[in-house]
Amino acid sequence: MLDDAQHHPRGKNGRAPNVFRAGAWTPMREYQPTEEVDFAIVGTGAGGGTLACRLAEKGFKVVAFDAGAWWRPLEEFASDETHQEKLFWTDERICDGDNPLKLGNNNSGKAVGGSTVHFAMVSLRFRPEWFKSRSLLGYGADWPLTWQEMWRYYAEVEDALKISGPVNYPWGPKRRRYPYRAHELNAAALVLARGAEALGIPWAPTPLATLSAPRGEAHPCVYRGFCVSGCATNAKQSALVTWIPRAVAAGAEIRDLAMVGRIKTSEAGRAIGVEYFREGRWQFQRARHVVVAGYAIETPRLLLMSANSRYPDGLANSSGLVGKNLMVQSNQATWGVMDEEIRWYKGPPSLALTEHWNYTDKGKDFFGGYCYMSQGPLPNAWVATQNGRGLWGHALEAEMQKYNHQAGLKIVGETMPQERNRVTLAAEMDQYGLPIARVTYSLCDNDKRLIAHSLDFMGQALNAAGASEVWNENDDTCHLNGTARMGDDPRSSVVNADCRSWDIPNLWICDGSVFPTVGGVNPSLTIQAIACRTADRIEALAARGEL
Amino acid sequence: MSATTRRATMLVGLAVGAAGLAAVLAQKRAGPSSRSIAPRGEIETHIVAARAFNRSSALLALSVLTDSGIEHYRGSFANKAMFTPLVTSTLSLAAGLHGSADSGPRRHQARHAIYLGAAAAGTAGTGFHLYNVLKRPGGWSWNNLFYAAPIGAPMALLLSGALGAVAERLRDEPAVEPQLLGMAAGRALGLLAAAGLIGTAGEVALMHFRGSYQNPVMYAPVTIVPVASALLAHAALAAPRERWVTRAWLRITAALGFVGMGFHARGIARNQGGWRNWTQNILNGPPLPAPPSFSALALAGLAALRLRETEK
Amino acid sequence: MTSIPVTRYPGYDVLSKRDTPSWDAATRSVIDERLATPRDPAFLNAVEWRALTALCACVIPQRSEAQPVPIAALVDAKLAKNRGDGYRDARLLPLRDAWRTGLAALDEECRARFELPFASLDAAPQIALLEAMQRGELQCGAWNGMPSSLFFTERVLHDVCGAYYSHPHAWSEIGFGGPANPRGYVRMNFNRRDPWEASEASPGREEQARKENKNAR
Repeated sequence: MLDDAQHHPRGKNGRAPNVFRAGAWTPMREYQPTEEVDFAIVGTGAGGGTLACRLAEKGFKVVAFDAGAWWRPLEEFASDETHQEKLFWTDERICDGDNPLKLGNNNSGKAVGGSTVHFAMVSLRFRPEWFKSRSLLGYGADWPLTWQEMWRYYAEVEDALKISGPVNYPWGPKRRRYPYRAHELNAAALVLARGAEALGIPWAPTPLATLSAPRGEAHPCVYRGFCVSGCATNAKQSALVTWIPRAVAAGAEIRDLAMVGRIKTSEAGRAIGVEYFREGRWQFQRARHVVVAGYAIETPRLLLMSANSRYPDGLANSSGLVGKNLMVQSNQATWGVMDEEIRWYKGPPSLALTEHWNYTDKGKDFFGGYCYMSQGPLPNAWVATQNGRGLWGHALEAEMQKYNHQAGLKIVGETMPQERNRVTLAAEMDQYGLPIARVTYSLCDNDKRLIAHSLDFMGQALNAAGASEVWNENDDTCHLNGTARMGDDPRSSVVNADCRSWDIPNLWICDGSVFPTVGGVNPSLTIQAIACRTADRIEALAARGEL
Repeated sequence: MSATTRRATMLVGLAVGAAGLAAVLAQKRAGPSSRSIAPRGEIETHIVAARAFNRSSALLALSVLTDSGIEHYRGSFANKAMFTPLVTSTLSLAAGLHGSADSGPRRHQARHAIYLGAAAAGTAGTGFHLYNVLKRPGGWSWNNLFYAAPIGAPMALLLSGALGAVAERLRDEPAVEPQLLGMAAGRALGLLAAAGLIGTAGEVALMHFRGSYQNPVMYAPVTIVPVASALLAHAALAAPRERWVTRAWLRITAALGFVGMGFHARGIARNQGGWRNWTQNILNGPPLPAPPSFSALALAGLAALRLRETEK
Repeated sequence: MTSIPVTRYPGYDVLSKRDTPSWDAATRSVIDERLATPRDPAFLNAVEWRALTALCACVIPQRSEAQPVPIAALVDAKLAKNRGDGYRDARLLPLRDAWRTGLAALDEECRARFELPFASLDAAPQIALLEAMQRGELQCGAWNGMPSSLFFTERVLHDVCGAYYSHPHAWSEIGFGGPANPRGYVRMNFNRRDPWEASEASPGREEQARKENKNAR
């Protein structure tokens, strides 16, 4: 059965699925629950998967947990949007605030490999100034990291994922050439290029974590277009086919279908291990260190759920900031109809982009930046966009007939950290008996001004590219960050630059929750770079006996 | 790789290897083919060289016919001019096969005309491809050099025509001190073959760069071939004498063309869906017919070398 | 009101590619299961079912002569499985409750105006009522505080349109390439199609498109 992975754990009995060969297995080390491993990592996505790999490769004993299934992409990823919703987090969450979020395919995965199993593979570096947004650009907060050290880790991740990117990248400081060449552009991407050239701004093929040439046993992209529904080709370099196999080969254990419900602490207030639900019962794994990497909703949820008599407000929460400063990225779009056939379903969804408005500060009446990319939504995703426009009936059907002539531009836009945007615990319980998350989100004026600017500009770009019937999609967001921010002051942050929580020295947070600002680029590359840095820092601290 | 895919790949590899071996062995025989008109041993050296160039021209034409056929099909023959290389390369192939069996000491008018036509088509094709690159968003850019019409491909047709035309002209020359293009014929042939080799190596460098040199063996054609070209050019320009290093290097280059074809077959097989997905992988995967163009040029180089070695 | 648009891709059927390299075993089993969705409701009761069927016909009008997509059955199957979207607007009820409440409220609003349930109305008043729901103007007690506009966008449009566009007939209708594994696409530029893609019957080439679509595999 195609959903077998959701019912029977595969990471057990000393073996793990070999995702590169149908039905094959690879040996995996197993630790006893009573054995105190070095690191128990909650979540195996861009943060947890990367960290599990790097720590195991440095010789630490690592067990990583994921609530999701361990998929075999080659055999179990059908070419069907609806069926592939099995990759998303479909447990209930409640959304409120002025702009209640829509979760699922834009921001929440549930699988070994986390959201990278369904992400759109866009792999961009932060603009260097963003690491000092407050000091240099006058908004948000400063990161306790420098762009120079992040540059080195960005290169490490880009090489690990064999990012396929342009030979010359138009923005930011010089970087090493991307390991693989960029992909061929589809017509939807050429529309972006046309529009950019007409308006006189630079554009580039998007650096993507999907292969343009063979790599080991992974196949290069066949341009099937189902990327955000899961890559059956293994061209997409998700954590599932990169960090996780490396982690297993280096001696880490991955426990799939294992929902961590609580981090336990000792009398002295240190973390001692995690309580997790697997194969029908609650179990406990002892660990010297616990890393939370469940992404920006599950991470604060777990920290809050682990409240006890010593930490009544949740773990690592002396600042009161766990769950607060939730940031999404605005994901508004402009759409239009072209005379030519576009057939945007061919190829990855975002083959071309421009970061012009990330690196230009003049002409803005807002803080922050945005990039925009070409698009290629499949039928279900596209009809959802039309529904958001309010279309149904004959009008909808007439619109849908234009499917093969559509082109669009969509932003990844920076939003401001606001403490009122937060993740809290609701009264309702989920299937594990745990309180579900309430996600409260409202845009601020700055966010709205950025959105307005982007829609106006993209409209011009689309018109300049020859589109007609141009309209704005006004209501969409993507990604999640900020709910356990890093900083250099325990009063205003949850973790330090090493992702180590101020309150509990053996409790770490290593995922998108630690971002103090969110920038105008997709977060995955930055999350993985932070994880690589954290692993190096842990190794250095261990060598000095400061672990 | 499935069992069927493995079997298919092995068959293709064996066929390619056999063809390559046959080609190299044919060159090792100093004498003319069994279909020659004159009795064995009495064919003049320059005619032998001419026939070898006809043969190489034919091999190049076959490569162009298959490669442009596949690639222009991929381009949906959107511009009717895209049929041109198929027509001219077929004619060039026929002319080459005919010429390779012809020991006649005079240029063949029809063959010569066909060869000039092929060279013209190759030149025009380069112009068309350049236009295709420049007209896309980004213009002269890496992405367009990778994915728009391949800028160096029509040169193979130009070379097929050039090698054949030169072969016809050579037949008109006397057996003693034949001249071509104002210089000793062996020198002219050697320089032409060397130019062809370096040009083709450039096109491969671009395409293997697009493939990110993901397999170290992809460096072979961009290292071995330029050395062959340099050795051959040197042999052509310097005083004639026996050049066994150049000869060996050209033989390696000739074999490399067929070995490359085998690797390209492997590349197709190891893509998603393998041979079963041939309707995509033959079009998208590494181009099967392209590597033998090296063999054609290296074989021509060997013939030029042989002629050069007899000169003063 | 305009009529149901004719497809631009006459004769194109993604199902005809079932045994080509565009479909793999996983996809075949998923689509087979979807096509075998039982026509009778597994979750809703008879009254709710009637209302849902009429509702689906308004949101996605289909020609009666062609093989219609069993949209209501697909929505009902989703409710029977009860797998959520992974989030819920705080003002919305959970999936099953939302639908039960919404369908009951719709019939209630209808009876209040016309003394008939929704399914018994003609198309025009049905559409008018749904437009009112979309604008949030339906507020009788049966809604239990759930805003009708939210129910309309987040449940009705989301689930009904999602069901329709998860069916291969809908993909063929809009000329979508359909399943694509292991075979993806080769020609990605403007106005280019691979032989296994849909051919558009633009004015003047209807016959050629039909022929190409018959051979699309």
